[in-house]
Amino acid sequence: MKQAAAPNNPLELEQTATHAKAQRRTGVMSRLLKDKWLYVLLTPGLLYFIIFKYVPMWGVLLAFQNYQPFLGFWKSDWVGLEHFRVFFTNPEFFMLLRNTLLLSFYNLVFFFPAPIVLALLLNEVRRAFFKRTIQTLIYVPHFISLVIVASLTYVFLTTQGGIVNEMLQQHIGTKIDFLASPGWFRPMIIIQTIWKETGFGTIIFLAALAGVDVEQYEAAIMDGANRFRQMWHITLPSIRSTIIILLILRMGQVLDNGFEQIFLMLNPLNREVAEVFDTYVYMMGITQGAFSYSTAVGLFKAIVGVVLVLGTNWLAKRFGQSGIY
Amino acid sequence: MNKNSRKWISVAAVSTIAMTSIVGCSSGGKEAASSPSAASTAAPSAAATAAQQQKPLDLNIMLPIFKTNFPKDDGPVVTEIEKRTNTNIHLEWVPNASYTDKFNITLASGKLPNIIYVPDVKNPSFVNAAKSGAFWEIGKYLKDYPSLSQANSVIMNNSSIDGKNYGVYRGRALGRNGINYRKDWLEAVGLQPPKTIDDFYNMLKAFKEKDPDKNGKDDTYGMVMVKWTGQWASSFDIIKLWFGAPNKWGVADGKLVPEHQTAEYLEALKFMKKLYDEKLINQDFAVFDSAKWNDPVVNNQAGVIVDVTDNAARLDDKIHQTLAKDGKDNPNIHYIDNMIGVTGKNGLKALPTSGFAGLLAIPKSSVKTEDDLKRVLTFLDQMNSPELTTIAGYGLEGKHYTKDGDAVVPSKDSALLESEVEGLNQMLPFIPEDRGLKVKQTPLRLQTTKIQKEAEQYIVANPAEPFISQVYSQKGQQLDNIINDARIKFIVGQTDEAGLKAAFETWKKSGGDDLVKEMNDLYAAVKK
Amino acid sequence: MSKTYRSFAGTLFDVSNYIFLSIVGIVAVLPFIYVVAGSFASDAELTQRAVFLIPKSFTLSAYEFIFSTDTILKSIGVSLYVTVVGTLVNLFFTVTMAYALSKKNLMGRNTFLNMIVFSMLFGGGLIPTYIVVRELQMLDTYWALIIPGAISAFNLIIVKNFFQELPQELEEAAKIDGCTEIGLLMRIVLPLSMPVLATFTLFYAVGHWNNFFSALLYLNDPAKWPLQVMLRQIVLLSQMAAGDMSQVDPQFVKQQEQSIKMAVIVVGTIPILLVYPFLQKHFAKGVLIGSVKG
Repeated sequence: MKQAAAPNNPLELEQTATHAKAQRRTGVMSRLLKDKWLYVLLTPGLLYFIIFKYVPMWGVLLAFQNYQPFLGFWKSDWVGLEHFRVFFTNPEFFMLLRNTLLLSFYNLVFFFPAPIVLALLLNEVRRAFFKRTIQTLIYVPHFISLVIVASLTYVFLTTQGGIVNEMLQQHIGTKIDFLASPGWFRPMIIIQTIWKETGFGTIIFLAALAGVDVEQYEAAIMDGANRFRQMWHITLPSIRSTIIILLILRMGQVLDNGFEQIFLMLNPLNREVAEVFDTYVYMMGITQGAFSYSTAVGLFKAIVGVVLVLGTNWLAKRFGQSGIY
Repeated sequence: MNKNSRKWISVAAVSTIAMTSIVGCSSGGKEAASSPSAASTAAPSAAATAAQQQKPLDLNIMLPIFKTNFPKDDGPVVTEIEKRTNTNIHLEWVPNASYTDKFNITLASGKLPNIIYVPDVKNPSFVNAAKSGAFWEIGKYLKDYPSLSQANSVIMNNSSIDGKNYGVYRGRALGRNGINYRKDWLEAVGLQPPKTIDDFYNMLKAFKEKDPDKNGKDDTYGMVMVKWTGQWASSFDIIKLWFGAPNKWGVADGKLVPEHQTAEYLEALKFMKKLYDEKLINQDFAVFDSAKWNDPVVNNQAGVIVDVTDNAARLDDKIHQTLAKDGKDNPNIHYIDNMIGVTGKNGLKALPTSGFAGLLAIPKSSVKTEDDLKRVLTFLDQMNSPELTTIAGYGLEGKHYTKDGDAVVPSKDSALLESEVEGLNQMLPFIPEDRGLKVKQTPLRLQTTKIQKEAEQYIVANPAEPFISQVYSQKGQQLDNIINDARIKFIVGQTDEAGLKAAFETWKKSGGDDLVKEMNDLYAAVKK
Repeated sequence: MSKTYRSFAGTLFDVSNYIFLSIVGIVAVLPFIYVVAGSFASDAELTQRAVFLIPKSFTLSAYEFIFSTDTILKSIGVSLYVTVVGTLVNLFFTVTMAYALSKKNLMGRNTFLNMIVFSMLFGGGLIPTYIVVRELQMLDTYWALIIPGAISAFNLIIVKNFFQELPQELEEAAKIDGCTEIGLLMRIVLPLSMPVLATFTLFYAVGHWNNFFSALLYLNDPAKWPLQVMLRQIVLLSQMAAGDMSQVDPQFVKQQEQSIKMAVIVVGTIPILLVYPFLQKHFAKGVLIGSVKG
């Protein structure tokens, strides 16, 4: 019998109505249920963030205290915005800001593209053995500790018998005090960073490049594109989203400078360009034992970072890119 | 840590019960015998006897370790120390590079060991904790102990907070600073050891110009200096005293004056500039890493290091080693000599150290009663005895060292020494002095000990040493940087005297004036 | 036509490229060669010669010293254990969360992402994290080196983005064939993401291998020290860090020999250097071919 006919039957009418009502409740429950396995997958990570990132966030409050380890959080004095006041009214604040930003900017302009360029060049290599060998070699500097890098920098650049200066002395008659002169500090740091981190930085781009469809190249060659056009139209776009993501995330770190590297190269003669927020906080920390002070500065950096990340992300979206989200 | 503190509590409980039962049981004949003897003997031996009768004292000791190997709790040397002091020691080794972080974390965690090394007595975390009652104030207890009672009062003052001592200081020689120089070079250029500042200058000049290493090349200079990071005394700080400048703070008209505001300081700076301009010191001293300080002297590039005089022996050993590799060593002579200093117009002046290298503090949370404190102090007192100082310093005779007369000849097995002995000397207070056996005292070493002792009469003390300044803890580092940067720039010629004076003015306005006022208030309070 | 065009400009480019890359490779590896050379040299030579590539005085004494006690070997074992287990934990946590968040229509997705980005920049700091670790009874255990760093938000976001780029058709095709969400992840997405997974395995592994600070903080028992702590002890012994006692205390703390410093660096770096060549085969091109068409 045709019971699955049009719902004239009152019982069926009711059933359909219920069914329709259930369908309208698509909102929360149904979506949760539909994606239930995704939520299961999400759970471990979520727990991690809650326990290890959000639970300790009360530590941010230390920025408003004069925290003393022995007294603990509850018994340490509250000082409100005092640390921020000290930080911003510090006569050297603008010098620190300038140094921090400039160094970060140079890093962005000179260092950031380096792994990309190197990855692209490596990508063009056909001989697998050569490619793999070079890749392994350039990855090594990442593991050389900064202490050694600083030490080697000294050996090369010192005016007291350093290799570079001895050569300069011979060929152009004067020595350049790289290590002590303010003008050379930033280039030295950037060059060190390029040497140390470019190789390791290519890895992520090489991974992205590995995912490019070979057929695209074949099609392009058919169409008469030379190497450079291939690179421009196929290779670069394939890593574009990676580049953008890295750029956005990098903006969050614009006030970070890599404390250890700078500390090792800092000296009284180049302090005016070398002292950045990170070394400054360290220096304050010695005399203050200052958890609170460094937390306050960290908070400042974080706020600036968040603004920049969100801002850059929004910008990226405006230009039609994918952004973090 | 949990286990150990529980163990400590149970041992304390058991020993208390044991003591009560001993006292309780010794009714009748025994009591009559024991009480008069307990009453009549002096406190120290009573403490010793009591220690012998009690269960071993559980001690958690937190110390810095400088190597990758470290003595284990059950190692032979530790065991020997435990036997002799009736203790059960657990060592908490912390890598020295992160000691301050670990120290702060430990304070925050509330689980402190029984003895904790405190690197910087002025560190605000420690000062704050001490003032809040975290540590026992041990000053008044020291008189009861044979060695500890001989603690040097100047050093006690230097290591105090508001006049109170919150730990046993680890003694170091006071008169450690002076001049180390290449004796063979001095002889090669035909000069006598310098007596005055001019002699010193001439020595440096001769080292530069007269090819003292006789290699035919113009590749030597006078003195090597290093990048000063503000954490310790630089060569300059030693030299400035020769000119009559004060040590950090001088006294004029009964008030404290910062050193850089004195005329003598400027004179000393100008001298340094002269040395730099004439290339008598290494031109890159402002960036030269202190790790490499000794290298130029060993490498026949420089002839003088103004630093701690015990460095002379080390330098000498290195030179012998290097020459031995090339087969050119003469083991019977010393290549390095040292001296206290040269005289300026005010006579001979020496830069003292503070006399101590950190404290061994005793937290109240882990050492709960006064009796417990006394037992811990007994342990620290015993560690000053010659035998225990030697054991903690060099290990066990026959295994870690052999004796050559009265001198210690350490084993050549460095790995063995590192995993059983090295590091234990971090817990030695050396009060009143180092009474242990020493390594073979070459003439140089004997001389070093002699001049370090002798230097004590010539030291220029820092009258503000024990003061803890609020201004300094907020801005101290910055203020120091202003002066230090200025003086280095002046020496290398990046600024002139006007620039230097301008920097001094900046110092005043950036908080220097406040600092001077605060220090003077503290000074006035103490003088009364 | 295109072939002849390639053969000139292209070859010129190739040749210069090879030369350039060779130079880059050499410049990159020279300092390491110096360190290796130094580890086989005598201390006297290290004092005399500032920099060299071939030691004049070949000696194995530094290595003999290192391996004479088992401390260094044990710490290598610790580092290996923490790296392997840690990286597996990292991958598990990161991949699961990244995959879930790569689905754009997941409810709450933006909230979660905001939360993650926020946590990347704002943090509680040393002490509160230490307290959490302590309360979880992880102090002085190896878990303290593994769990608190289980996910790097930075890595998470990049992995998520990679997953996002995978063609939708794949998922649809699999679902039509009756694949579950987890099955999809395991059988299709992961195999296709090998380059990404290889990359982040490497990043996490290197992170674990190089980490010393967590060890300093959370481990009280020196027997549990990973290799990097040992390394830092040796290399930094003569550095002027705050509170460093060696300058004040040189008579009580003997300096470590230069050659031993170098040898420890070599021993500490070689294992992790070897990881990369192993992972390289996963960076092969064209992994995605045929996956959609088939």
